[in-house]
Amino acid sequence: MSHIDRVGGEDLVIDSVNFSYGGKLSIFLNLNLNVKPGEFLSIIGPSGCGKTTLLNLLSGFYQPEQGSVRLRGQPIAPEDTHLGYVFQQPTLFPWLSAIENVEFGLRMIGIPSDARRERALKYFHLVGLKGFEDFLVLRLSGGMQQRVSLARSLAMEPTLLLMDEPFGALDAITRETMNDELLRIWDELGQTVLFITHDIDEAVYLSDRIVVCGRPPHGIYKIMENELPRPRSGPNTRTKDLFWQYKKQLIEDIAVVTAQSPQSEEEMRELRLAQHAEVLE
Amino acid sequence: MSVPAAKVSSPASTTSSFSGLMTAPLEFLRRYASWSWLSIPSLLLAWILVATQFESYILPQPWEVLDEAWNEMLFPTQETVMDDDGNIVEIPEEERVTTWRLLSHGELVAAVQHFFRGEIWPHVGWSLLEEVGGFGAAIVFSLIFGFLAGFFKGFREYIVPLNGLFMAIPPIAWAPLMVIIFGLGYTTIVIVIFISAVNPMILTIMEGVLQIQGQEVRAARILGARRWQLLLYVYLPASLPFVTAALRIGFSQAWRALVAAEMIGASVGLGYMVQTAGEVGNSRLVLLGIAMIGLFSYIFERMLFRPIEKRYEVWRLT
Repeated sequence: MSHIDRVGGEDLVIDSVNFSYGGKLSIFLNLNLNVKPGEFLSIIGPSGCGKTTLLNLLSGFYQPEQGSVRLRGQPIAPEDTHLGYVFQQPTLFPWLSAIENVEFGLRMIGIPSDARRERALKYFHLVGLKGFEDFLVLRLSGGMQQRVSLARSLAMEPTLLLMDEPFGALDAITRETMNDELLRIWDELGQTVLFITHDIDEAVYLSDRIVVCGRPPHGIYKIMENELPRPRSGPNTRTKDLFWQYKKQLIEDIAVVTAQSPQSEEEMRELRLAQHAEVLE
Repeated sequence: MSVPAAKVSSPASTTSSFSGLMTAPLEFLRRYASWSWLSIPSLLLAWILVATQFESYILPQPWEVLDEAWNEMLFPTQETVMDDDGNIVEIPEEERVTTWRLLSHGELVAAVQHFFRGEIWPHVGWSLLEEVGGFGAAIVFSLIFGFLAGFFKGFREYIVPLNGLFMAIPPIAWAPLMVIIFGLGYTTIVIVIFISAVNPMILTIMEGVLQIQGQEVRAARILGARRWQLLLYVYLPASLPFVTAALRIGFSQAWRALVAAEMIGASVGLGYMVQTAGEVGNSRLVLLGIAMIGLFSYIFERMLFRPIEKRYEVWRLT
């Protein structure tokens, strides 16, 4: 909690949001969620519960049909520079070197090249990639690519960092390392993090609060406060009784949500198709 | 301390120091040899073997074709020569030369003149000119329409059936119609080339643009890129691979169509040359024409498309 207290400013406010795909497939009905500044909030839930849709709403790629999403009182557009987004896949630009990828955003907002390089290097080193500046990104391992992607977002110095299962494609050991790195960086920079995951361990280990999302269009099933003390460190935190209690609680919650209103395969298919059509627009 | 150091040295270096002279050629082969070295020689060998079964005027040997190129096409027998005073004088029949030898200054000038007066150059020149015209127009059109079709769903829906229709018709089928409208010559050939190249190019570019849409663009937008910046910093570099692919496809389509169209609708050009040589039964000239057609295709591939491809090859590797 100390972390949250030290950062001032306003909240990310999701206010009675309705969203559906093409008016047919309702994903959210009256969704409300406030995120405190500097908070690390995880969202967890079974697949198809609208996690990615939520991130699209928060990043301004989708507009809510009703209600509003506001960051520091302002509506959000994808181009906002105080918004960072780390995707599930690294989605780097393969024609640029690693450091040029980190510079990309700074270049877009017109920062002169010297200052740009300096700032990019700062974050490049922060994610632990010193020495790999001039590598073509496809020559880097999956974990390193995701670090570049993280550095690229951090270099914009966003106040809100959206992360969509960023370590989902990594192996378990790399993922735990990345979790520690992320906590270290977050501790240093203090931005708000909204972290989507399907990994219960990850959610418990990282977050201040955990949102268990419900079946569409229920939005949020439950919000769990995570009182695990900080700073958290690998084995020490992971072996605490509280860690296991939270984990057990989450497993039960997710089981309830999954059983709650079972989605038919037909519904799942429709959802996928609707999302796909949206992306192509 | 010296013992572990000796152990560290790699087996490869030990071997080469032992019998460097013996292993050098093998080492060279191991490093650089490729089965591709056998492709052209094996084709030539097959040609030679098959040609032994035929009379020379039906299927000539490769060297006879080369001879044709040298003597008949590139260096037609000299009938006149420039003397040292700069006057053109006719060479007596019995003194005319067709073989290579040291030339006097006057003879050299005349030889150069003859080289460029050689019968093959107008054919090559016109074919290249037609290719530049038709393929060049196809590049401009396919870039515009390909990108538009990639960006706009409506335009894509409109243009794809047209592409399909044109691609279902062999481009050479248009040649007779074009001859009726435009007569024999440049315009006819250029239009046939254009039709054959532009459709697959539009489709290739469109597919490429569709692939870019999505994650990379989203990432760039999140990083603050505006619309024109997306074009310049994302679409342009990301499009290089498939634009090059489109160029290669388009060029080869155009070149094929060119040769075929010249056989119908031209009075000059490599295709015309092969066609007329075939009519009079000059198989050496036919084969020479075929070889030139292949050669120019190869030169363009190597000098135009490979360099562009090299630029993005590095980051395409996964």
